[in-house]
Amino acid sequence: MIFSSISFLFFFLPILFLIYFVVPKKCKNTVLLLASLIFYFFGEKYYVFLLIFSCIVNFIIGKKIEKSPKKIYLVCGVVFDILLLFYFKYANFFIDNFNALFGLNITNLKVILPLGISFFTFQNLSYLFDVYRKDVSAETNIFTYITYISLFPQLVAGPIVRYRDVKEELQNRQESTDTFAQGAMRFTIGLGKKVLIADTLYNVYTTVLASEMSLLSHWLVALCFTFQIYYDFSGYSDMAIGLGKMFGFNFLENFNYPLTANSITDFWRRWHISLSSFFRDYVYIPLGGNRCSVLKNILNILVVWALTGFWHGASWNFVLWGLYFFVFLILEKFVLKKYLHGKILSHIYTFVVVTLSFVIFSLTDIQDLASFLRGLCGIGTEIVNFETIYYLKNYWVILAISFIGMGPWLKNSIIKLQKGKTEKMMNVLEVLFLTAVLLLSVSVLISSTFNPFIYFRF
Amino acid sequence: MKNKIITVAFILMLALGLVLTLALPEKKISSLERRKLASSETLKEDFTANLDEYLSDQFVLRDAFLAIGTSYDRYILKNKEANDVYMSKDFIIEKNYPYNEKGVQAFIDKIKYFAEKTDRESRVFYSIIPDKSYYLDDSKALKMDFEALVQKVNSGLDIDYIDIIHRFKLEDYFKTDIHLKQDSYLKIVDEYIDKFGLDRQHIDYKRHTLNHFYGASFSKAPFSKPEDIEYLTDEIIANAKVTHLEYGTREVYDFEANREVDLYNVFLSGPSAILEIENPLSTNERELVVFRDSFASSLAPLLIPYYKKITLVDLRYINAKNVEARMDLKDKDVLFLYSTLIINRGNILK
Repeated sequence: MIFSSISFLFFFLPILFLIYFVVPKKCKNTVLLLASLIFYFFGEKYYVFLLIFSCIVNFIIGKKIEKSPKKIYLVCGVVFDILLLFYFKYANFFIDNFNALFGLNITNLKVILPLGISFFTFQNLSYLFDVYRKDVSAETNIFTYITYISLFPQLVAGPIVRYRDVKEELQNRQESTDTFAQGAMRFTIGLGKKVLIADTLYNVYTTVLASEMSLLSHWLVALCFTFQIYYDFSGYSDMAIGLGKMFGFNFLENFNYPLTANSITDFWRRWHISLSSFFRDYVYIPLGGNRCSVLKNILNILVVWALTGFWHGASWNFVLWGLYFFVFLILEKFVLKKYLHGKILSHIYTFVVVTLSFVIFSLTDIQDLASFLRGLCGIGTEIVNFETIYYLKNYWVILAISFIGMGPWLKNSIIKLQKGKTEKMMNVLEVLFLTAVLLLSVSVLISSTFNPFIYFRF
Repeated sequence: MKNKIITVAFILMLALGLVLTLALPEKKISSLERRKLASSETLKEDFTANLDEYLSDQFVLRDAFLAIGTSYDRYILKNKEANDVYMSKDFIIEKNYPYNEKGVQAFIDKIKYFAEKTDRESRVFYSIIPDKSYYLDDSKALKMDFEALVQKVNSGLDIDYIDIIHRFKLEDYFKTDIHLKQDSYLKIVDEYIDKFGLDRQHIDYKRHTLNHFYGASFSKAPFSKPEDIEYLTDEIIANAKVTHLEYGTREVYDFEANREVDLYNVFLSGPSAILEIENPLSTNERELVVFRDSFASSLAPLLIPYYKKITLVDLRYINAKNVEARMDLKDKDVLFLYSTLIINRGNILK
């Protein structure tokens, strides 16, 4: 089940609201746990048992670590989690590459990638590390632990919520109309970002890709890739955070207008924050971070970015994507740092580098990628053609909306207006706007075909 | 106060959507979309897999939401080709772009195959019916290269061509459907009669009208108005019998055939692999075989008075081997009549 589906909005959610807000406080976690498992069962059926099994193992190891903080327990937990992820996500990738490299004919495993395995594996890992470091005490109730991992708002596509950030709320949280309304607003904005913007951008680039491509249309598609991935993923995070708020949880922000960053270093402080902070805290710093020789520091950064790329998918283009960022991060660290200080050129530089990165991210076939990169350079294509002009004229509105929505400008203006004499009017307009977004999103969902979130495959 | 309003409104909207969708009687068919809707039976088969489709199909005020969804794309995002249709003077025009050379070649190969089975003495012709996008203003839309398509077909087929492309205009088509109105074919019937060496007849057609026609393109621009279908008949047409390979004997104008899904099915009962129309009042023994798509369903009735028997073959539903096993093209007039919608996607012919 996905958030942007009629069955989630008009079946799962209202029934859950009814039950959750009627039952006594002590039963609320049980309701959330059952709802989360049902939510997962709708998408993955029997993999729900894998999810529970993984939780039980991590819960037991967590308790062991707390009782006797030996490294071996931590290693056992990490190996278990990584093996699980490896088997379901990466085994066939390695088989394919071994076959290609050594001329072997090993048969692929018949496994389907369980939804959200990358996310819940990382949550389990963060829990084990935190317990080992004594940053947090181990959970004593297995059901509470499974509730934490399987909590449906963040289960299948993040953000990667750490146990220490929600431990208190798992035990004792306050739901109110204020937090619910904030959550509903955030959820609606996320739904609109996904359904009204990201899905439209998907249609734009599939249409343009099917046409006679010019140099300009290659850049148009690259731009659409970037905006679509941003609105799809940040929309999902908004929905997750909004749902969390409705049920009394405060998940940390996962995006902070990353497309307005003024350097790649800044971009990664704003993009998928829960993932980059995971790698910072559990890989980069344990490896020595920057408190070592320059060469070791570069090596540490290389490891982090190779892993970041590979986490996104079992395909070489994702590894390349991670390494691409590694190169720019190193360049910025040692050469460009002094030149990148919020000037318009640094924003343009960042936007172009990020846009190119999402070309690498989107095209999993290396030959397609090479051909597309040639197109971006104008090799073998016209600079512009009739179709490009036609599509630019036809899709300028969604591109303009995407540009405006990538920064905080609109939000800041609304907040400013809400503080002045126009407060009441702005409040009414805000409610009307959100109602329109919700109704429009439902309309588009009803009239469009199924279109799953991009980040589900991770 | 604002937060209370938002909380109540949000929960109310979701709850009302659920309650009304489940409380209202289940709809079997969407006339707007011309398809069967998912029923509660599908939930019994696989609840988790089919719930979303079921709720979407049965959603309260579904048609209104469809119209809003399309309007968002067309009027807010200013997408001129929302849902792959253009709007021009109230006409919904399906996008048929770009020119697909491989598809056209596949069409040519298929037609050549059957053309070679015909008798040298027989009269064999082909015609191309342009789709509505042919009449679009070039500067406003992406228009297929029709000249390239016609040229390729002309150079690929070694049979005589009856050019009817310039005989029609946009107004000859339904506004919400891809097809030509039946009386538009009156412009070309005499030309066919002449080419096939038949005697012209003066036929005094009676015109009948069916209301509330939602054409094939309607669901893609559901803010359009439904229209009327007019069909022409006379004593000969009324006495003709139609035998379908799939569903036995029917009338030429079939008022039982899935009308709730598509009123255009009134013409020869809609999609059919092979059908034979027999004219018991015929004064000659001539037979015509038409290889065709759905456009011919409304033309064929107008040719009945000139033939003893007309056979219509739709290669989208039956493959060449099966056609060959069922009929001989020797001593028969043969017409290959296809729209550019099919020619450009010729690989769908079996």
